[in-house]
Amino acid sequence: MKHQSTINIFVLFTSLFASLHVHSSEPLSGAELINNNCARCHNSRPIQEFSMSEWKVIMPHMREKAHLTGTEVQAILKFMEIASTPVQAPKVLASVNNTVEPREVLTRYGCQGCHQVQGAGGTLGPSLDNIISEKGIAFFERKVKEPQFNNSASAMPKMPITDEEIAALVVFLSPQ
Amino acid sequence: MRTKEKIRLATALFGALTVQSSLYANESNDRFVLVGYGDVKYENTDVANTSAFSARFVPIFLFSLNDKMHVEAELEVGLNEDGETETELEYADIHYFLNDNTTITAGKFLLPFGQFSANWHPSWINRSIWTPGIYGAHGSSQAMDPMLPILSDVGVAAQQVYQVGSAKVFFDVFMTNGPRSEAEHDEEEVVEDDHDIAFARLFSPTTTLDPDVDEDEHGEAFPEVEFEATSSDNNSNKAFGGRIAVAFLPSIEIGTSYYQGAYDEGGQLDIRANGIDINLISTHAILRGEYIRTETDAFVERDHEDVIDSFSRNGWFLQGTFFVGHLFEELGSTEIVIEHAQTKKVEEAERWMVGINYWLDPRSVIKVGYEDTDVADGPDDKRFAVQFSYGF
Repeated sequence: MKHQSTINIFVLFTSLFASLHVHSSEPLSGAELINNNCARCHNSRPIQEFSMSEWKVIMPHMREKAHLTGTEVQAILKFMEIASTPVQAPKVLASVNNTVEPREVLTRYGCQGCHQVQGAGGTLGPSLDNIISEKGIAFFERKVKEPQFNNSASAMPKMPITDEEIAALVVFLSPQ
Repeated sequence: MRTKEKIRLATALFGALTVQSSLYANESNDRFVLVGYGDVKYENTDVANTSAFSARFVPIFLFSLNDKMHVEAELEVGLNEDGETETELEYADIHYFLNDNTTITAGKFLLPFGQFSANWHPSWINRSIWTPGIYGAHGSSQAMDPMLPILSDVGVAAQQVYQVGSAKVFFDVFMTNGPRSEAEHDEEEVVEDDHDIAFARLFSPTTTLDPDVDEDEHGEAFPEVEFEATSSDNNSNKAFGGRIAVAFLPSIEIGTSYYQGAYDEGGQLDIRANGIDINLISTHAILRGEYIRTETDAFVERDHEDVIDSFSRNGWFLQGTFFVGHLFEELGSTEIVIEHAQTKKVEEAERWMVGINYWLDPRSVIKVGYEDTDVADGPDDKRFAVQFSYGF
């Protein structure tokens, strides 16, 4: 009887393993995957802590630990590549009237992977909707340039963002 | 494994990996990375009337053979009470990424039973200074008799990951050498009175207790089972089990686990364990918990005949971490941790733990904690500790 129940459990495991019908949803961005997975166990590590070649060795280790797929690992590495690119990163394309498009800045740096903007985005960090009105422009600018200045455990990466791009975000996130 | 053998193994592994590291150091696409964690702890225990500093260094060696294969090994290096260096191979395995969502693992690996052993045990990840009582002390000491003191074992495992709508479903199955009876150990030591038992538990987790003391509610002797991983098996039956979990990320992960292994030489006596684990993550708090129920077979005498009977135990822990710095900005990266744990039926005990953590950066934390364990049949245990833990 005892062995029968054991066998039943094992059969259940293996049959589910083999026959589960898979529904795939919209693939998540690398920033969203970091938001969703790292904090399940530990604080997110700053991307700059390791070089990209080191991350490429670390991520297969984390793939098994965090139950990530190979596609998800590649998306995370792609985001890390953007976030760790030196300051000379190409600027976000300016629109026709030669101003930086703030939504493209948010997309490029994966801000909504961790922060909500107008109801959409992650929850690892605070919502950005009221960040300017509550904390002020000086706080916002410093936080983007020095993410750990007010919280030593903050997982926010230091992005290769330009002053023009920060200015565009300030205007976009300021109360109208 | 004897200490000298462990040291030899560690030295060989260190040497081999250092050579590999230097061989590849100049290549732009590195294949080797050294990560890991360590900690320094000051602990004052009431029952043993001791206070001491201790330190551990736990390097993790990662090596990518190619896109399909990845090798990982973790060593725990620490000092024991006699000043000897103790080295333990926590895991050493190879992952083969069969396809996008399937991973095969072989070697000595962290057992996918619950979440503590597989994911939460490193000291810079565990929000408490101590291991939850139901999992044992992992080389340290504690007053609660653990439910399933197993961290890793030798064998094979497979993992499958699915996206089902907005949820992710994780399947893990494993087959390992499994447990064995403690009575087969040559170096066992039998102790008699309550104080000796408590002291023995604290400092020698493999000590066999007097069967007359370790009884269930019917007065039957509770069998002692040894879980430490070895490269041998005392019977032909392999331990097996697995875990199914559903995760609605980034907020919720709930899993259920199963473990079964024969521990006697004849392969007739099993230990079976069922577990439920939960992990809730929010912006301001984390709630982690596990429940484990075990059934351990033993021969008991009924009408002058030996028959197999099962002894049940259960236990659980719940750990809450609150990011108080999110509510009061001046507290910065301070957290408050509260944990409660219980073991029931045989070796009943109850524990409360409170702690304050301060993060110096996302991977370095200073923890201050106080733990009070109420043991039903033995002296209670109170302890205070400060730990500096770091991941690297």
